[in-house]
Amino acid sequence: MTRRIAFKTLGCRLNQFETDSLVSQFRKAGYDIVGFGKEADVYIVNTCTVTNQSDKKSRQETNKASRQKRDAVLVVTGCMATNKREELEKEHKITYVVDNEHKNDIFHLVDSHFKGEIISQEELKADRFGFEPISKGLHTRNLIKIQDGCDNFCTFCIVPFVRGRAASRPWKDIKENIEKVLEYGYKEIVITGVNIGRYNTDGMNFEDLIEKILDIPGDFRVRISSIEPEGFGEKLFNLFGHPKLSPHLHLCIQSGSDKILMKMRRTYTVDDFRQMVNKIRSRIPDFNFTTDLMVGFPGETEEDFQLSLAAAEEFGFSHIHTFKYSVRKGTRAERMPDQIPEKIKTERSVVVRELAEKLKNQYRRSFIGKKQKVLVEKIDNQGIASGYGENYVPVKFQSGDQTRVNGFETVEITGIENGEDPDLIGKL
Amino acid sequence: MNIRGNIHKVVNIRDLTESTYVLRMEKKGLKFVAGQNLNIGIAGDTERRDYSIYSAENDDYLEILVKEVKDGLVSKRLRKLKAGEELDVDGPFGFFTIKEESRQAGKFLFIASGSGIAPFHSFARSYQKLDFKLIHGIRHSNEAYEREHYPEGQYVSCVTGDNNGDFKGRVTEYLRLNPPDNNTLCYLCGNVNMIYDAFDILKEKGLPSENLFAEVYF
Repeated sequence: MTRRIAFKTLGCRLNQFETDSLVSQFRKAGYDIVGFGKEADVYIVNTCTVTNQSDKKSRQETNKASRQKRDAVLVVTGCMATNKREELEKEHKITYVVDNEHKNDIFHLVDSHFKGEIISQEELKADRFGFEPISKGLHTRNLIKIQDGCDNFCTFCIVPFVRGRAASRPWKDIKENIEKVLEYGYKEIVITGVNIGRYNTDGMNFEDLIEKILDIPGDFRVRISSIEPEGFGEKLFNLFGHPKLSPHLHLCIQSGSDKILMKMRRTYTVDDFRQMVNKIRSRIPDFNFTTDLMVGFPGETEEDFQLSLAAAEEFGFSHIHTFKYSVRKGTRAERMPDQIPEKIKTERSVVVRELAEKLKNQYRRSFIGKKQKVLVEKIDNQGIASGYGENYVPVKFQSGDQTRVNGFETVEITGIENGEDPDLIGKL
Repeated sequence: MNIRGNIHKVVNIRDLTESTYVLRMEKKGLKFVAGQNLNIGIAGDTERRDYSIYSAENDDYLEILVKEVKDGLVSKRLRKLKAGEELDVDGPFGFFTIKEESRQAGKFLFIASGSGIAPFHSFARSYQKLDFKLIHGIRHSNEAYEREHYPEGQYVSCVTGDNNGDFKGRVTEYLRLNPPDNNTLCYLCGNVNMIYDAFDILKEKGLPSENLFAEVYF
């Protein structure tokens, strides 16, 4: 009997990677992967706890899964599961709660369950880098985990408590993982982790690692995902000239006010951030910077907020992931005075979203008349191909005879759609 | 995967002022780099706080400098501990450290407010040949915590509440009158407002931002 399994991932790319790896593992074992809204024998919810909203969504998805099929195996894992394990274990609708450290061994847990052997989390193998290379996940891009955990202890952040101490994956494993996924046919790899800029092992730092990855032979491109503005310098700036390295960084600014950055215990100033942006844009003027921007951190005044808006305009972020500060138990900011009322946080986030939309449109529009090398993700029944260009801009175009999913096409950008999240329109 | 550390026994507590003390505990082989901090709580308790390490890298014990916080849940209770009682210690954490190459050739200005002097004490005791000057902002001159531990002439107290300091006024006023050379590496530790104001002054005086390093205390 073929068993059906459904996955739901909340939060960051690292969670996406870990889900994709599990998908790959279950698929190889003969499971049928179905949509989360469908009836399945197993539901896996990979949760997030970075904000109150993430907790809420994680709970909603867990409840949704429990309602789909009463006797299904429901596994709740990820950061909320790690943070609230004892609480979740009391809920009868959840079959297993698995923390981040044991997430890599969920297949063993589920497989044993169906063989009639009930094992506890403690019997699973704890290995944060023990995820299988993704042979066929849920995405065209293959995520490569290079690092886990964080020692920065930003005052607002729960991540060090749920992802543990910073640890870097050895180069040998990373190389093998990349070579394997290239062999599977992937054309784009995304470097991921909790705080990848702090990669450091065997005398190699993050810049050294990227240089080595770019030296791996093959027709593929490399995208660096979310990174903190720290831990890299001239070498990385120069590497952005490499044809395999996508000109895009999700560089997390969090605030445009130095005072708030200090209270957040961030390790850079707005001026440091400016220097990084300017150094890269002086080499690649249309470089794509996206960011995270928090509103309503304790003590954030209207003036501080205006500084954040000014920074967003100045740096021309093409995408801003904005979120309202929410108290995370056990963090330093929990005990800070001057907590901001929810109403003000909401008002500020609306203003950021409006600005973000304007900036996104401006940035994408600037590609009209230029070319992008698009990795095709799908071709619809009208022959319209869509995918992302090297600058991580979405592009649609009429496919040609040679256009294939998971293949590159050089596309001339001729226009842009309307709307909040417009795709660029192009032609071969 | 909640972060929890190892058990270290209290060795002794050395009172410096009515509200400030040095807590010495077993080292148990814990290796750290001067400037890093530890996450500490009383064993078995859920409340924990971060403290910069006050002792030197090669001391055979660990020390932290603690200023009692009004209504604080940890600082007041730590002071009541007796020798042999247990602490839950995790770490070291943090990146407020000095690179080895800078240590050899660099010229340093350490700027502290209150108990923010702790990492500088560790720097000074760990790296005996370090070329540094330490300016310490305090309210009263009796808060010049163990100033005799620093080489003669390298510690300057900036006192606002009495006339017995080396300088009468805030560290920021001292900095305006005595700006460092532009090649000085400036390390700042203490409350956020002092650091923020000092950053502005140092930048106005032409120090590049790559020469400024900060550790904020809350």
